[in-house]
Amino acid sequence: MKLTRYVILVLALTLVCTVASAEEKRWVSSEGTTLKSDASASADNVAELAIGSEVSVLESGGRWLKVKTVAGQEGWVYAGRVSDTQPAVEVEGGDGGIFGDTMKSSQINTAKADSARSIRGLSPGAAQYAKDRGTPEMYKKSLDKVLARKVTEKELRMFLKEGRIGEYAVLLGGGK
Amino acid sequence: MRTLIYLVLLFLTVYASTASAGFFDKLQKFSNPDSKESKILSGVTQIASSSKEIDYATERNIGESLALEGLQRFGNPVKNETLQIYVNKIGTAVAVNSKRATIPYQFAVLDSPVQNAFAVPGGVIFVSNALVSILDNEAELAAVLAHEIGHVSAKHALKSTQRAQLLQGVGTITAASIKGNKGKQFASAIGDMQAVLFDKGLDKNMEFEADYAAMETTYRTGYDPSAMITVLEKLQKIEASSKDKNGSWFSTHPPLAERIARLRTQLQKYPDYPSMANVKDRFVKQAAAK
Repeated sequence: MKLTRYVILVLALTLVCTVASAEEKRWVSSEGTTLKSDASASADNVAELAIGSEVSVLESGGRWLKVKTVAGQEGWVYAGRVSDTQPAVEVEGGDGGIFGDTMKSSQINTAKADSARSIRGLSPGAAQYAKDRGTPEMYKKSLDKVLARKVTEKELRMFLKEGRIGEYAVLLGGGK
Repeated sequence: MRTLIYLVLLFLTVYASTASAGFFDKLQKFSNPDSKESKILSGVTQIASSSKEIDYATERNIGESLALEGLQRFGNPVKNETLQIYVNKIGTAVAVNSKRATIPYQFAVLDSPVQNAFAVPGGVIFVSNALVSILDNEAELAAVLAHEIGHVSAKHALKSTQRAQLLQGVGTITAASIKGNKGKQFASAIGDMQAVLFDKGLDKNMEFEADYAAMETTYRTGYDPSAMITVLEKLQKIEASSKDKNGSWFSTHPPLAERIARLRTQLQKYPDYPSMANVKDRFVKQAAAK
């Protein structure tokens, strides 16, 4: 009799655990992640999701996940943009992130304001290093040009769309 | 039944006390500053904490200084703006899905006859036109760039030399502070990192880590993750017929056969990889553009 009660208790606990884990957690791990109204890159935007923000998976299948944000917004997100572990977000990110448009008070911005900077683009320490080492001007200019190239979020989306990459891939069954 | 439970409990108690005796014995050794164990521990602590404490501005100063050395060593960027923009788009596409998507990255193709790619701390990544010329599609170039992003993400170069680690204590490097002793320390750290990045190569486990990161990042972006394997297979063919391996991707990395074998096992994590993008047409058009 005691054994039966014990077995029932264990089964009940297992069931509770299963139900709890059914709503899996994920963390946004890519820059420029958008919550969509449907499982398609061309669907309407519901919200922009910041790196590190938590979402609960409501429905999964294929490369899109139906998720709910902590704020209660529901929508679809491309599976490659979330991770099952929380990403280590840098407190002091660099230069406003990949697209350079968030412009947080990062250290690099402070560093760029250094008055000793000799040429545009190069970090002050590197410019001083080049001066001390007598690095030929040609290489400083080359690096300066490399550092000046930027890809905007819009250009990136267009690029992925043209290449049918990731959320823009054309898959049988719509990729769900 | 009860006897059995007692026996199990007795066994566990005895086992735990034996294990903890050894543990305490080790702890005692660590607490003695002159012991070998203590020295190892302090070294490990220093290494583990060091790269975390180099701030991004300093990392960028180090990286750009190394980039200047890299350009002098391997050659200037090719004067093909279409190709440079194209490589930046592929690089940014994978960088947003990398483990370190919060910093800016820049990519450039260098005019170099050696098949090589390297990354400097902070996010500047170079790939030689000789390496681009042996690739067949965009997914392969994405894999090479994602491998290098993997090194930047994990701060491998900064962790690879003792002198770079010592920079942790000097605070932010600026143009004003680079003069004097700090500047000497900075220059010698750059010298050490150059030797590692351009000659000796990073630790082989760092290379395996970057290979896995490349597969994961390309897959998350939507590129075929097996492209990392096909790149290495191409290099393997070249390596077999090449006499001079100096400065190439295979001279500064662990054996290609081992990397390929590990990646083939890793590929099982991505069963749907054959349906992912390779983008051959655009690659052929853009990489050939003058």
